[in-house]
Amino acid sequence: MPLSFEFPSHLTAEAFIVQLGNKTNLQLLSRHDCHRTYYDSFDWRLYSAGISCELTQSKTPSLLALIDLADGCNLVNTELAGVPVFAKDFPDDTWQQHLAPILEMRALLPLCKLNFKSIQLNILNDDQKIVVRLVIEDYEQLTDRLLVYPVKGYDKASEHLIETLISPPFELIPLKQSLLPTALQLNGRKAYDYSSKLNIDLAPELRADIACKYLYSHLLNTIKANEKGVIADLDSEFLHDFRVAVRRTRSGLSQLKGVLPNNISARFSDFFSWLGQITGPTRDLDVHLLNFEHYKKSLPESIREDLNPLHDFLLGTQKKTHQELAKKLRSDKYINTLADWELYLKEPSNKQLTEANAQLNIKELADHRIWKMFNRVLKEGQDITRYSPPEDLHELRKTCKKLRYLLEFFQSLYPEEQIKYLIKNLKNLQEVLGDFQDYSVQESNLRVFSEEMITLNTPANTFMAMGVLIQELDTRKYHARRHFTARFSEFASTQTQQAFATLFATNKPHRKHL
Amino acid sequence: MKVLAVYSIKGGVGKTSSAVNLAHIAANAGYKTLVWDLDPQGASSYYFRIKPKIKGGSKDLIAGKRELDDLIKGTDFDNLDLLPADFSFRNLDLVLDASKKPTRQLKKLIKPLAGDYDFVFLDCPPNISLLSEAVFEAADMLLSPIIPTTLSLRTLDQLSVFIHEHDLHDLTVLPFFSMVDRRKKMHRDIMLSLVEKYPTILNTAIPYASDIERMGLERMPLGGFTKKSASLTAYHQLWQEVLARLSIESH
Repeated sequence: MPLSFEFPSHLTAEAFIVQLGNKTNLQLLSRHDCHRTYYDSFDWRLYSAGISCELTQSKTPSLLALIDLADGCNLVNTELAGVPVFAKDFPDDTWQQHLAPILEMRALLPLCKLNFKSIQLNILNDDQKIVVRLVIEDYEQLTDRLLVYPVKGYDKASEHLIETLISPPFELIPLKQSLLPTALQLNGRKAYDYSSKLNIDLAPELRADIACKYLYSHLLNTIKANEKGVIADLDSEFLHDFRVAVRRTRSGLSQLKGVLPNNISARFSDFFSWLGQITGPTRDLDVHLLNFEHYKKSLPESIREDLNPLHDFLLGTQKKTHQELAKKLRSDKYINTLADWELYLKEPSNKQLTEANAQLNIKELADHRIWKMFNRVLKEGQDITRYSPPEDLHELRKTCKKLRYLLEFFQSLYPEEQIKYLIKNLKNLQEVLGDFQDYSVQESNLRVFSEEMITLNTPANTFMAMGVLIQELDTRKYHARRHFTARFSEFASTQTQQAFATLFATNKPHRKHL
Repeated sequence: MKVLAVYSIKGGVGKTSSAVNLAHIAANAGYKTLVWDLDPQGASSYYFRIKPKIKGGSKDLIAGKRELDDLIKGTDFDNLDLLPADFSFRNLDLVLDASKKPTRQLKKLIKPLAGDYDFVFLDCPPNISLLSEAVFEAADMLLSPIIPTTLSLRTLDQLSVFIHEHDLHDLTVLPFFSMVDRRKKMHRDIMLSLVEKYPTILNTAIPYASDIERMGLERMPLGGFTKKSASLTAYHQLWQEVLARLSIESH
């Protein structure tokens, strides 16, 4: 593991080599151009785990390393020709163990680059044996760095050298961090410049129409940020985040009525609903592919491999479906309507407001909508009995989602801890409803797939395995249904009801349009 | 981790150059490799420009007072380390004899290195002694260079008898011809008759060549100063044969 030093600004690489050559038996080995590319997932997963992934390319074999951002230590490094896209594609177990839990399904993508000249030097002893290896990294836009690689069994030589390096005339500065933050800055990037989380800071007295436009602009940015990744199908989460932003926008347009002009709301509601529809099939297939290993594990070991033709089928269908989706996202309809939406959101707000709720302040609107939606969740949930049809649970699931979006849109208007507590409670309820819905959808999709697979000479054993899988999903669905009552009572507890009432029911605006 | 002992009862048969060159080839292919110079003459240490001296000498080493890892030196080559010789190794037999279960000592010392190295080459001194027995216990494979002379027939016979008498049946013994001069009729004849008697002899023969002697001047393995030579090619082929016998796919 190398020790890093930064050159003081007055010292050039050449002067350093001459001066050190006067003091030690220095051997100049080679000089070559290097490119270092930093990698991370689109949503900065490695960075938030305190890791940097760096590929250094030069004439010699490329070196891929994982560096601890806090102390600049190497966690792993391997000679690799290129960077695998997914954690599971790494040939080495150590890499997979480091990366898989952090990256999950996300792709590793190039983040930024640094170019430098690398000068390799050795310090020799009287037997002309290498006792310390040195690498100077000569950057165009940064002060140079020196990496000291001690040779095993020659600790005294490197200790002595370091003593010399930090003293005059060299005065190198010991470094204890990766260059990533500096590289980002030089490339005009900022850490966490993308996050799928909604972090919208709203002032309570903000006029509702302005606040809503601000909210929609934020969601539009998310849609645009993910667009390229969706079209290129870099990983499944681009489409996932894209769809969430679309759904949130749709949900906002339908729930925060009377804020934007009716014709605007209607036009763009249709558009975002279309976007939801055209992205659905690809997402469904992505979910099946993401779940595939779980599917296999849920089967008895003897028939697990029989399920593989389903994977091939899913991959093939996903590819076709995605191509259709990509085509639609390159269409005039998509490009022009989204541009119109952006233009509308950027228009300065009208002083003469015609819409009934536009003049409310955002806190009043948020209080009212959340309170109303919460009561709807309560009502729908309380009406569900053991005998209710699945559609009722599906309806409740949708209502919960609407409430969830409202709470997330407006969380900055309320005390953080309280709103987080309510979101957490709601999340628990959504989980069981989501499971119930997911298992139902997966079950019925698998039936459709099996019909399509009949024409593809699929082995009979595969259908058998799919049958067992459907059975398994049905059992899980049944369990989710059974857990509903308990989860709902937890959510509808007096404590939660009081918390909702305290936060949202106190300040009722008296406007009939709400 | 595989332990390969380069061993011969007879001296001057090319043990050290085989250990050093095979280790360098293994390291170059990406295997983490260690050479342990057990010969008090310190020839392999010399080839790597490393002083043949270890702190505390053989006594501290066998008594387990020093971790082997602390005595290891990095060579000038990637993935290749060396445990230097020490002049006190000339008394290694006496030191071993004074310890408990003397023939197991070497194996015990090497064991903790299992996570650090893929291959450990033991460069052994020429004789048959308590140390050789400890080497045989520790090694997975014995690579034994033989010069095609009438005397080597005898040494190979002695080795087989010794291994048989000491119940070392798990140990793979792989003899190979070393310092071969194909111009000599005697060399060719003896090679033919020995291969018949010992079918395990490896196919590759290391030639008697001046570039191997040059290693002493350059003070590095063949691969360190030449990219193309008949001897280097022969060592590469020998290494492929060794890997095949170990059933390891080459990198």
